[in-house]
Amino acid sequence: MSPPIRVVCAEPPLQSALQNWLDEGRLTPPCPLTLQIEVGPLAPPAQDATVPFRQGAVAIRPGADRRSLTIDWETAPARAQLLTASPCARVTLSAAAVERLEECQRSFLLAVLVFLLRRAGWHHVHGASTVDRTGRGWLLAGNSQAGKSTTTALLASRGWRVGTDDIAFLAPADGRVAVHGFRSRIALRPGGLELLARAGGVPLPERGKTGFWPEDLGAEWVSQVEPEILVFPSIGEERTGAKALGPGETLAQLVRWSAWVMLEPELAQEHLELLAALGRQARAYQVRLGRDLFENPNLMDELIP
Amino acid sequence: MTARYRPHPDLRLTALEGEGVVLHLGSRRYFTVSETGLVILEALSEPRTLDEIVAALRDRYHVTLEHAAASTRTFLDRCLQAGLITREGGPD
Repeated sequence: MSPPIRVVCAEPPLQSALQNWLDEGRLTPPCPLTLQIEVGPLAPPAQDATVPFRQGAVAIRPGADRRSLTIDWETAPARAQLLTASPCARVTLSAAAVERLEECQRSFLLAVLVFLLRRAGWHHVHGASTVDRTGRGWLLAGNSQAGKSTTTALLASRGWRVGTDDIAFLAPADGRVAVHGFRSRIALRPGGLELLARAGGVPLPERGKTGFWPEDLGAEWVSQVEPEILVFPSIGEERTGAKALGPGETLAQLVRWSAWVMLEPELAQEHLELLAALGRQARAYQVRLGRDLFENPNLMDELIP
Repeated sequence: MTARYRPHPDLRLTALEGEGVVLHLGSRRYFTVSETGLVILEALSEPRTLDEIVAALRDRYHVTLEHAAASTRTFLDRCLQAGLITREGGPD
């Protein structure tokens, strides 16, 4: 059986490495998708009037017809081209990008994957997904400094199941909205590791982090979570606090952490409707994460019963 | 000819429990809108004059003509400034 996301590449070692990376993520989109990879030289990105949408060293440029996208990696040359109607991303990697394959996967190819999955009706949200001990699904949405990974690791160590700590995709599921997580290690910065007070993990030196599989923390990984609770976290001081959000604030927060909704006009409404459906499905809270969260194992459940 | 208002092609709109969020894909900005704003934007599913929009608002709410017209003008002006809608034709 062919994998749900297939890598086509004429260079077997590269094909194998990329297919393994994708397979490890355990995503199962509802239709087959293809990453078509070539290795070769790249011309500099086209200079046009369009201001690229940037995420770190990744620049995303809508085509003039707005039915295509070009995604460039600026760290080492790499480029992907996607058409709105096509389930295939055509990717060219420079030799320099291949030499930095792990970084290329994490920074560039993951961005390509985000847009490829849109072609299957899966829409990205920057978030972590978990299931509490009573079976309620949670989505924690926010940027990489919001405390998502540390909180996810903490909850995992207390028996919550984990989907992802960072890379989540919204998808329709029998009239509900499900979050599919890209399976990867929960990656903690030194501060998060100190708060978790847990030995082990795998050093991720190129990221300055330590990685834990959910199982390393005693948790079970789940491929799909149906959120009943949305949390928009930020890091506070001592005490953790939660504030319920109204519908307008909830929608605005979901849009904020689902930035790609602004790209590709033909797919934007579908993405936006998923965010609204998620807002209807779940209660939403703004949460300031304090150090007391690490002292009281049940604080999150107590604040959001 | 009386002016008609229509949504900009880059506008995307969705609602949640009477409140809404509007995207402008060209400028990559988003806005929250109140229940009244949603009624006005939803009335623009086809090009409408100010009077038609005010009538749509008054169909939904018991408000005076003056109040509805003033609220609608203010909202439309804000939407025009944000590029969310366009205006074609002569005066209102």
